[in-house]
Amino acid sequence: MKAHFRITSDLLGHILSDLRRPHPFAGERVGFLTCRAGILVRNEFVLLGQKWHTIADEDYIRDFSVGAMIGAAAFRKILQYGYTNPVSVFHVHLHEHDGIPRFSQTDQRETAKFVPDFWNVRHGLPHGALVLSNTSVSGKCWYSAATQPIPISEFRIVGAPIKWVRHE
Amino acid sequence: MVGTSDLQELQLVCPGAAVLHESNLEYVYLPRLKLPAGCSPPEADGLLCLQGRDGYLTRLFLSAEVRGKGNNWKAHQILSRTWYVCSWNNVSSDLRPAQILAEHLRAFR
Amino acid sequence: MNERFQRQSFLGPNSDEILEHCRVGVIGMGGGGSHIVQQLGHIGIGQLVVVDNDRVEESNLNRLVGATATDAKKGRLKVDVARRVIKGINPKARIKTIPKLWQTSGEDLRVCDVIIGCLDTFSARAELEAMARRFLIPYIDIGMDVHTVETRFVISGQVILSIPGHPCLRCVGFLNDYLLAQEAQRYGAAGARPQVVWPNGVLASLAVGILMQLLTPWHGEHRTIEYLEFDGNQNIVVRSNRLAHLQTDRCPHFEDGDNLGDPFFGVACEKNALLCDA
Repeated sequence: MKAHFRITSDLLGHILSDLRRPHPFAGERVGFLTCRAGILVRNEFVLLGQKWHTIADEDYIRDFSVGAMIGAAAFRKILQYGYTNPVSVFHVHLHEHDGIPRFSQTDQRETAKFVPDFWNVRHGLPHGALVLSNTSVSGKCWYSAATQPIPISEFRIVGAPIKWVRHE
Repeated sequence: MVGTSDLQELQLVCPGAAVLHESNLEYVYLPRLKLPAGCSPPEADGLLCLQGRDGYLTRLFLSAEVRGKGNNWKAHQILSRTWYVCSWNNVSSDLRPAQILAEHLRAFR
Repeated sequence: MNERFQRQSFLGPNSDEILEHCRVGVIGMGGGGSHIVQQLGHIGIGQLVVVDNDRVEESNLNRLVGATATDAKKGRLKVDVARRVIKGINPKARIKTIPKLWQTSGEDLRVCDVIIGCLDTFSARAELEAMARRFLIPYIDIGMDVHTVETRFVISGQVILSIPGHPCLRCVGFLNDYLLAQEAQRYGAAGARPQVVWPNGVLASLAVGILMQLLTPWHGEHRTIEYLEFDGNQNIVVRSNRLAHLQTDRCPHFEDGDNLGDPFFGVACEKNALLCDA
């Protein structure tokens, strides 16, 4: 199974601008990107970035052991959106460096905790997480509650010009 | 705009009917729509456009051509799938949605 | 850099790699499409999807690039002529030929990085653009026409770039409901439209130029909408003044989430079995 990801350069730019805003106490910001999907060829599907969901300042929790911790209210809002709209949900955060970003152990542990909640409200669609850097992006995708996540193999940033990030 | 009552009316005929959008048009998706007796196939997914499109007042697209019925079948790509439609005009958008559907299905009697 | 592409090294340090990995869909292998695929072969596009259900006829030979008298005699598929032309230039190009109506082959186009439409009708263009927008694929549209104004003939044509999130063919006034309705009423009465080779060559070259600006970083000025009009009597190409009337760089026609992706994905699990829990 192979996952592809496409997003407009405008939407990605909007996400980066939002994540770079300073927060009153959190070390970094996070957010959710909802996506639509489609089959490309057998055993390959594509996720299409649709809408960015900013997390309100007041929905962060003071927890200085991690860069950012969001509370139940933030999850409730995105789960509500996922319940009423046929979308895939991706948690997104930013590592402020150039080059390929990687999920830390904390990232992987936390993501695996909340992605199943997305399956509960929107079964049958892939969900996952993205990590951005200043110049690149990586992602993981759960396409079934019963399987381990797969890496997103190709990102296409659609604008003028088009840019690709490929993870072989 | 396809109103709630319009959709409910069509859901009585076709459970699972749902409204979908493409560009500036609305379509009512009719899964496994039963076609008139003697049709081949006996059922097909349908896409009912209750507003003017391509010079037609309303249109009914099907996921398969109905063999031996209807004239001038054309293929269209709508909502990421292939749909087929025959020439059948003058079904007014002023009728009730279920009547519009019934009038379009008359093409296959 | 491959010696073959040394003369185009100005396109950027990784340009040959970018072009080799790129997949371009060309819909319609008539006068415009046949020009385009020849140029894509020369420029090094590595993967192509070419679509046309038609066969070569004698009347095509005044403009169908690569088609021969033998092709017309044998009724060869236009996509097979395209394959021969591309492979003759770039044997390494991977080509998928689809000798069917594009409307029945939508799934095959979803993998494309860019789609170029060389279609005859407004309704087909509207649907192809909508499909391209669904899968966030930039779309380049070309077309030419020869029409009569009073007693003289006028050759005109256009090339339009439509990038998801930015103005579409409706935004720039090229498509509207009136034109679509008029076209539907003329169905069956259209007859063979006049077509000649040189305007197709101009328009095809402009389309390939726009494609190269989308793919490679050589240009520096990246436009998110382009609408070029060709006056085949004056032999000039100008940027359409319709662009000056655009109120915004955003497109209101495809904003709704329903216009993105496959709306049936995940709805009917039996159609997407690979994504459903057993």
